[in-house]
Amino acid sequence: MLGNLGGLVGFGSLLHPSIAKQIEEKQKQVCLIWLDGGISQYESWHPLPESKFAGPFRSIKTSIPGIHFSELLPNTAKIAHKISVIRTMATKDPNHSTGVPRMQRGDPLDRGVDYPYLGSAVAKLLGPAEPELPPYVWIKPGNGGFIHREAGFLDARYGALALGDGRPPVHIHRPDGVTAELDAARNALRQKANERFRAYRNTSDVDAYETSYDMARKLMARKEIFDDEKLDPKDRERYGLHPLGRHVLQARQLLEAGVRFVKVNSYHWDTHGDNFNMSQRLVPQADQPFAALINDLDDRGMLDNTLVVMMSEFGRTPLINSRLGRDHWPDCWSIALAGCGIKRGAIIGDTTKDGAFVNGEGYDVGHLFHTIFSVLGIQSHRQKYRHKGQKLSIANDDCEPIKEVML
Amino acid sequence: MSVPPLDVTKAWPSLELEHGRQLFRAQFSPDGHWVAAGGQDKLVHVWELEKNEKKSLDGHKTWVSSLVFHPKEKKLFSADYQGVIRCWNYEKSDKPVWTIDEADGDNVRALVVTADGKYLISAGDDAVIKVWQTRNGKLATKLEGHQECIFSLAVSPDGKHLVSGDLYGSVRQWSIGDWKQIRELDAKLLHTRKENFIADVGGVRSLAFSGDGKLLAVGGMKEAKSNAFCPGKPTVLIFDWATGKVKNELKIKGKSDGPFNALRFLEDNTLVGHTEILHTASELTFWKIDQPEPMHSIKNGSGYDLSLHPDKRQLLVPTYVPGGSSGNGGRGKTPENYLSNTSVLRIFSLFAKPEGKKEG
Repeated sequence: MLGNLGGLVGFGSLLHPSIAKQIEEKQKQVCLIWLDGGISQYESWHPLPESKFAGPFRSIKTSIPGIHFSELLPNTAKIAHKISVIRTMATKDPNHSTGVPRMQRGDPLDRGVDYPYLGSAVAKLLGPAEPELPPYVWIKPGNGGFIHREAGFLDARYGALALGDGRPPVHIHRPDGVTAELDAARNALRQKANERFRAYRNTSDVDAYETSYDMARKLMARKEIFDDEKLDPKDRERYGLHPLGRHVLQARQLLEAGVRFVKVNSYHWDTHGDNFNMSQRLVPQADQPFAALINDLDDRGMLDNTLVVMMSEFGRTPLINSRLGRDHWPDCWSIALAGCGIKRGAIIGDTTKDGAFVNGEGYDVGHLFHTIFSVLGIQSHRQKYRHKGQKLSIANDDCEPIKEVML
Repeated sequence: MSVPPLDVTKAWPSLELEHGRQLFRAQFSPDGHWVAAGGQDKLVHVWELEKNEKKSLDGHKTWVSSLVFHPKEKKLFSADYQGVIRCWNYEKSDKPVWTIDEADGDNVRALVVTADGKYLISAGDDAVIKVWQTRNGKLATKLEGHQECIFSLAVSPDGKHLVSGDLYGSVRQWSIGDWKQIRELDAKLLHTRKENFIADVGGVRSLAFSGDGKLLAVGGMKEAKSNAFCPGKPTVLIFDWATGKVKNELKIKGKSDGPFNALRFLEDNTLVGHTEILHTASELTFWKIDQPEPMHSIKNGSGYDLSLHPDKRQLLVPTYVPGGSSGNGGRGKTPENYLSNTSVLRIFSLFAKPEGKKEG
């Protein structure tokens, strides 16, 4: 505790008061960077240039002696000592349609319910880190809005507030013609109507509407956190001007403001065709903002309380197909984690020499969820959801946290 | 011995050279006695056809990206995805004659030799064309102008001009000797970047002059649907060399969804090209270039290069062969039965098969 507080002194006025408060209160936060479609482990975390399945890229030294990443991760290679990489994920599901929800829901034992996605689960289990902000924000290409489906069987209010293309929610600004008093009266009337409606209807739906309005009001009060103009141009350069760079920088801003869980999606990583030309252009788009975020959180004293995870639904096949692509490979692939109870510089996993298969058991998503919940201070075996009178595990009962990457 | 009449409609696979790893480039030597190939296993493989012997030249540290023979001397040039070019005396030595360590800021994608054999020309990711002396590998000059990765090069039949094609669909003509850019041809159709893409897709993957130098064929694919699967419509643009205008756009009949990586004109101005497709058979396609539809096609695995034998009757295609484990996931696969995909160097004879002759 003294160490944390002592560390804060050095940052002085650089820290936003809300950040200083979170660090002091040791509020845990999460940033999940989701590379949808599946990043190739050979072109990123586990290059194995002597493997018969290797691509054409070099492997480069990292800041950890003896550990190499692909040359497509030059920035992350420099901060390898700050992160952990698990090279032996073995997650069973080779399909997008089932693999994405499985990896984001954690695959607890089937009880006939739709489990919440990770962001909704954390929103439920930890609540908001900053009461005046939504607990779960999802920055994604395409459309935004309030995505209640992420909450699964939880109340819809634990869904994700999605910022389409990183844009703030529509109508975040109160029209000039509406005074604060008029706005308050309007909200009071809406709440009254909701109460009447709630008496005869599914309360979850009403909660979702109510949550949307509450969020909108909260965001109207904090609209400065969506103001791109205030971002330092040098930060933009460091994170990259591509969508993933811009969105991860925005995630940092939201984490600094106190959002509990931020998910950042990047699509089109499903490189069945032209994998090597595409990886050459895609992987650096993840490398640059990931490394910048880790460094910035570390510099701000936030990394010890902020978990950063970069992952996909699976990796890509060792075999190179006829279109010079790689197909889906859940059998042995890699993910990266950093911060918040995760060891620094733990690059783990024993694979066959060519990287195609795990030697031993490997780790499934259940192990990952226990790890994530554990480092966030959630007792992943003891804590339960309650749903219609039923106690439901928050993570797969048959799995344990991955101790090798935990402090 | 008389040369049989060219008849691509009766073309047949007359020889197959199998290889245990994937090969992406293959070329006949100028005397037709040798075949060189390179790809995933980092080696340059050289077959002496008459003796049915193969040797492998070790030196590259990554995939071999391009190969070209010297037109007059017993030299072979190879390039790789780490910017290295090596010159080999393929008949007499397993050691390189010379090496260029940094021929490109990143990957070398294409090599060509001028008709007089004086210059080796390379191009790749850094978008700068480099001209090297073939005798010693010393840099003669650099040609700048492209804005993105250069995938393809070709020299005109009169030996006076070089053409280069890049990711954005820019084809540039350069004079050989004084090394000036003459003009730019528009093949932007072969590049796709939709609003939701996170990378540029396509580019000019192949270039070929007709024998009389009046036509330039520019290959790739158009209308890519995503930057993930990268599926597009394989397309060839036929340029009138005199005017620089597109005369015709050639299509395929089959289902291939990858780019044309190689094109060659035959002596009667028939154009031949090969493309790729995911997990199924592609085809070797022939056109009379005034017609957009192919005049003939032959089913073949995905093919990545084409080389015409000096007898003008044999065509060499490095062809993908699945190892039996392709597709998503490894269910039922073990380290013992999860096998690498492989290649066959398939030589098609472009005339009617003599009676009693076996294929392959």
